[in-house]
Amino acid sequence: MAGSAAVLEDSSILSRLDRALVPLERFFALVSGLAVFSLMFLAAYSVTGRKFFNTPLSGYVDYIEAAMPLIAFMGVSYVQRAGGHIRMDIVISALKGRAMWLFELISVLFILVLIIALIWGSWAHFDRSFDMSKPLWSRDSSIDIGLPIWPSKLLIPVAFSVLALRLVLQAWGYARALVLNLENPVAVPLILTVAEQARLEAEQLEGAD
Amino acid sequence: TEWNVSVWGKRRAFTEHVEKLAELVSEKTGGEFTMNVSYGGLSKNRENLDGISIGAFEMAQFCAGYHPDKNRVVTVLELPFLGVSNLEEEVAVSRAVYAHPAATEEMAQWNAKLLMTSPMPQYNIVGTGEPRDTLEKMQGMRVRATGGLGAAFEAAGAVPTSVTATEAYQAMESGVVDTVAFAQHAHLSFGTINQADWWTANLNPGTVNCPVVVNIDAYESLSDAEREALDSSIPEALDHYLANYGELLKKWDSVLEEKGVQKVEIDQSVIDEFRAKAADPAREAWIADMEAQGIPGQELYDLVIKTLADTRGS
Amino acid sequence: MDEITIGLWVSGFMLAMVVLGMRVAFAAAMAGLLGLIWLRWNGFDYAPDRLWKSIEISVKIAGQVPHSKVSSQALSLIPTFILIGYLAYYAKLTSALFEAAKRWIAWVPGGLAVSTVFATAGFAAVSGASVATAAVFARIAIPEMLKIGYNKQFAAGVVAAGGTLASLIPPSAILVIYAIIVEQDVGKLLLAGFIPGAFSAVIYALLIIGIAVVFKNVGPPVSGFTWRERFESLPPALPIVAVVVIIIFFVYNPFGDAWGTPTEGGAVGAFIVFLMALYRGMRMAQLKEALIETAKLTVMIFTIIWGVLIYVRFLGFADLPGAFSDWITSLETSPMLILVCILLAYAVLGMFMDAIGMLLLTLPVVYPAVMALNGGETVTAAESTFGMSGTMCAIWFGILVVKMAEFCLITPPIGLNCFVVAGVRDDLTVQDVFKGVTPFFIADGLTIAALVAFPGIVLWLPSLAG
Ligand code: NA
Ligand code: NA
Repeated sequence: MAGSAAVLEDSSILSRLDRALVPLERFFALVSGLAVFSLMFLAAYSVTGRKFFNTPLSGYVDYIEAAMPLIAFMGVSYVQRAGGHIRMDIVISALKGRAMWLFELISVLFILVLIIALIWGSWAHFDRSFDMSKPLWSRDSSIDIGLPIWPSKLLIPVAFSVLALRLVLQAWGYARALVLNLENPVAVPLILTVAEQARLEAEQLEGAD
Repeated sequence: TEWNVSVWGKRRAFTEHVEKLAELVSEKTGGEFTMNVSYGGLSKNRENLDGISIGAFEMAQFCAGYHPDKNRVVTVLELPFLGVSNLEEEVAVSRAVYAHPAATEEMAQWNAKLLMTSPMPQYNIVGTGEPRDTLEKMQGMRVRATGGLGAAFEAAGAVPTSVTATEAYQAMESGVVDTVAFAQHAHLSFGTINQADWWTANLNPGTVNCPVVVNIDAYESLSDAEREALDSSIPEALDHYLANYGELLKKWDSVLEEKGVQKVEIDQSVIDEFRAKAADPAREAWIADMEAQGIPGQELYDLVIKTLADTRGS
Repeated sequence: MDEITIGLWVSGFMLAMVVLGMRVAFAAAMAGLLGLIWLRWNGFDYAPDRLWKSIEISVKIAGQVPHSKVSSQALSLIPTFILIGYLAYYAKLTSALFEAAKRWIAWVPGGLAVSTVFATAGFAAVSGASVATAAVFARIAIPEMLKIGYNKQFAAGVVAAGGTLASLIPPSAILVIYAIIVEQDVGKLLLAGFIPGAFSAVIYALLIIGIAVVFKNVGPPVSGFTWRERFESLPPALPIVAVVVIIIFFVYNPFGDAWGTPTEGGAVGAFIVFLMALYRGMRMAQLKEALIETAKLTVMIFTIIWGVLIYVRFLGFADLPGAFSDWITSLETSPMLILVCILLAYAVLGMFMDAIGMLLLTLPVVYPAVMALNGGETVTAAESTFGMSGTMCAIWFGILVVKMAEFCLITPPIGLNCFVVAGVRDDLTVQDVFKGVTPFFIADGLTIAALVAFPGIVLWLPSLAG
């Protein structure tokens, strides 16, 4: 089960583009984290208000629902860059050289097609809730305090578009590795054995102490 | 022709007209036109209109108060204290509003055609602890009430805390809300009656409006015989719904007794006070809001009141 | 072609992609999207001019799912539970717990190992993830055990097994995910995890004591702590108790109305641990790191959730779950035997798959079948097959499945906890850890058998909550 992996770097255009995208991805991931953090304060505030002052926070559920897409999607590309989305790699880790790069290339192109379809679909979902001629441009609102829903729906095509860029770079990276028969290509996550990966995770905790 | 129908929860009084419609249509066309009723498998309940608009399924049920911005026109039927006193009247006012050009036009933007309502009795509240039978006792009360109803309770000093119907039991159990406004069948099927100590018998603050709609393209591509079978089955399906709900209401008092729930009759003076606080400002605000958006709010409200008078007169 | 057949082909295609190494989330989403297109075009009798329309409708259906499914209050528990775990680490709760457990219970045979088990169980009450728990304790507990002459493999096995308790004892990301897929009350499920989690810990402890008594060289007891030392060790670990109490009282208050929802309980618990971490010296850089790590893990889990739910939406249109339950209930075999077979199938599947992915992929089909086996969602205890109401059956099955998923974290060939422990310790190979963890298979087998035979262990607490 693959978790995070290493991404090599050099001075090629591809590697520079790869690194250029990282700050944006990391910023989006930090936004995800901050949203989780604010959820914590929101709950503490809501509970205190309700329990001790009998002034429950109006629209508490609406706010949480609006924050969830922020938490769940913003970091999607950051995780893809590091190869962090879960998969079974028993079969693929047995492959070597070009066979493996071919497999990875197909796999990434496959995801790219899916994500382009989902950008279309999630944009349509946003578009149905958005109407410039209506107050707050809203054609879909939350149940309690009537919060417009379009901003949170818009986050999905935005996050997926960044992911699509990332997938294009990875496809390029794998295609390059396939053509040039590279051993350690840049800009793509390299598979680690389960043991290497566990060591990496452990070191991460080590350093954080 | 085979239609997918998206509803939610489980089969209950609230979905009986849909089930009956499916049965009748299949009967009348000799099995040529069938409907698969799906309880939550095809869409989230708050997105049934989206599904209709996409063409994901051909028929669906939704409640106006779940997303007022999607269906501004029909929310007139959720205004507090409209004075609707039984299900027949609810059917009549809904039919009148559904036939109004403003309503058909708004729904056409979702590629939807309003077929029939799911008539609901007045949403009375159940609660735990001391009955909230005066406006003072409603101050700070956390009530699960959506749409116009929520606004009414807010005007009276309560805090509307809307969870969806399926989460209401847990919300009540955990004290997130201390009262829940539902129609009787929902108090039964979502279990809120099991948590309750009391139920207001005569507060009658209003109700929600939950239309059944069809996808316009799907409706138009039906054969003449199929469309005839569908149209002609609507009154029958509604009659079946009303009869079935009537049975449920008859049993209601014995249910209250069995669960040890106190039936609270609220003083007329309290109701008048509530109405003055909640109904008139809410109505005026709603009309002004709609007119500002180019929706004939006053006309729609008058239509409801006139239909109500006509129904009672006949 | 009928819809069931399409459903089966698409499900087979998805499993094939997963086995071949496609990222689980995207494999499921792709299968769901292709399935929706196929189903729709099939409805149009494969007319070439309707293909594009089929694609358009299906893409729009699939495109709804991510936002629609993720914007849920109940799901907000997952990120808060993950955050609690990271913050607890910075609040130095791990070492405090181990120290307290050592001073109080290390005097029994196999003392330090028993202490480790109870310390991991305690840490489980603030950690939502098993792997993290194993990694943390491998660094704290193993060196101490080796110092007093423990068998190296055995010490590693204790930590790997103890780590699995984190997903049964709330907070638990896996239990929340189960509750969401099967649409059951999250609070009751979390409550239901406490006793089986504690029960598992006790079984582990008894097993260790037994081993220590029989094989004298496993590890000596550690005694000689004064009562004063014992009591002094408690305050640093107290925040754990606070978090446990908060979560219980938010779900179910034995003295009256509960304080709120589980979601709020999780968030308030996280808030307390956050204050604790600040007090114990967590700084901005560490907080930022904790937030990024939380975001990574959260996104990973949510991507699987929406990906699989696109597939589940397709299943809804194909009505495959309905067909599978009809088939299961039509079998002549005894329902209990079918249930045991399902659990064994999870044991095999779990050897090769990640726990969350496994549950998300299988439950939409398996869960309705188990419910049907018991007599349906609304069956009463008296009329049911397993002697429990529909709601209780959902809870019971949930705990069984999660325990299976945990068991799979220590079984070869890919028992993730064992890899993590070996990764932390230079002197241990994965084979060493697998060898050391073997006795705990017996303990887990006993635990699961007991939970199947005596559902009361699972259902007593949630039944109090009504
Ligand atoms: Na836990
Ligand atoms: Na395994």
